[in-house]
Amino acid sequence: MASSANEDVKGSTGDEGHNSETKDEEKKDDSIFECNICLDTARDAVVSLCGHLFCWPCLHQWLETRPNRQVCPVCKAAISKEKVVPLYGRGSTKQEDPREKVPPRPAGQRTEPEPGTSFPGFGFGDNSFHMSFGIGAFPFGFFTSTFNFGDPRPAAAAHGTHQHMEEQFLSKIFLWLAILFLTWLLMA
Amino acid sequence: MANIAAQRIKREFKEVVKSEEVAKCAIKVELLNDNYTELKGEIAGPPDTPYEGGNFVLEIRVPETYPFNPPKVRFITKIWHPNISSVTGAICLDILKDQWAAAMTLRTVLLSLQALLSAAEPDDPQDAVVARQYKENLEMFQLTARHWTSMYAGGPNVNTDCDSKIKRLVDMGVDDHQALVALSSYNWDIERATEQLFS
Repeated sequence: MASSANEDVKGSTGDEGHNSETKDEEKKDDSIFECNICLDTARDAVVSLCGHLFCWPCLHQWLETRPNRQVCPVCKAAISKEKVVPLYGRGSTKQEDPREKVPPRPAGQRTEPEPGTSFPGFGFGDNSFHMSFGIGAFPFGFFTSTFNFGDPRPAAAAHGTHQHMEEQFLSKIFLWLAILFLTWLLMA
Repeated sequence: MANIAAQRIKREFKEVVKSEEVAKCAIKVELLNDNYTELKGEIAGPPDTPYEGGNFVLEIRVPETYPFNPPKVRFITKIWHPNISSVTGAICLDILKDQWAAAMTLRTVLLSLQALLSAAEPDDPQDAVVARQYKENLEMFQLTARHWTSMYAGGPNVNTDCDSKIKRLVDMGVDDHQALVALSSYNWDIERATEQLFS
């Protein structure tokens, strides 16, 4: 069983680009430059600070698989994308950082939205005018907050929804609080 | 199957076949299909344990995302061990779950499983009944595990007392595995085992 499988292995590794018929002793020499993940000779080689060699695409995929637990696949030391060292051999023509290259990844990647650009409404434009009271040290503050100059706000909740009722209720409470506060100011 | 997974299994397979553990007959791997997704593993029970002399067969399934995710391994040979289900053979071992690392190989997994057989973790059990017995009555656990090894893994230590108890239950019309499970679960107390089987 074992020997027949061995022949099968040798027969089907021709696409790797290096001779699989080499002798075992030569292979032993090679194996110190093997990637610890794919076990092939490392391409776009990078070294972790703990000294372990990987292909960049392999290590990248490992780090992507476990974003919360970024550890060295060999010794489980903490590693990160920023703290690996690219290796440039003399023969390599391209001197670009292998880390710049992002290997082909499985589908379903998504990028996080940039914060702050996803407010649904922008002031007057789309039916989302807000009334609000404000009392500042400067009396004009009252007007600026009332007329809402240039201040992006979230859209009001749709009519009839629970949230709409709540908002109405809250705005009434604050209106009465403001009136009470004003009268207290005048009386004092 | 993803190319990297098949390539790696091919290389690992060669590594295991050549390794000194195979020479010592401690571990063994066989391919079950041509695309390297299913394998059969075999480990020898470690010396000075109740599993000594037994051969334990494992089912190894290689996921498409291997080696970034661990292979799925379970015991096919029935075994009495706190971290291995006596019913399904499911294994509770951290490196087969969240502690997996991409540089681990079939060889290291099999050696880790062998180490698990010598050093059980009853505080992180897969089989609660076995773990309780291990903690409360270690001698009884060892006797039971040794008997399971002799029945299912070809172990040499046949306990005639256990055998005769099983035979008595089999004579009552119980399946021999059921009889073994009931007796093992009740510390070889034949009355309680009978009660449980016929209630």
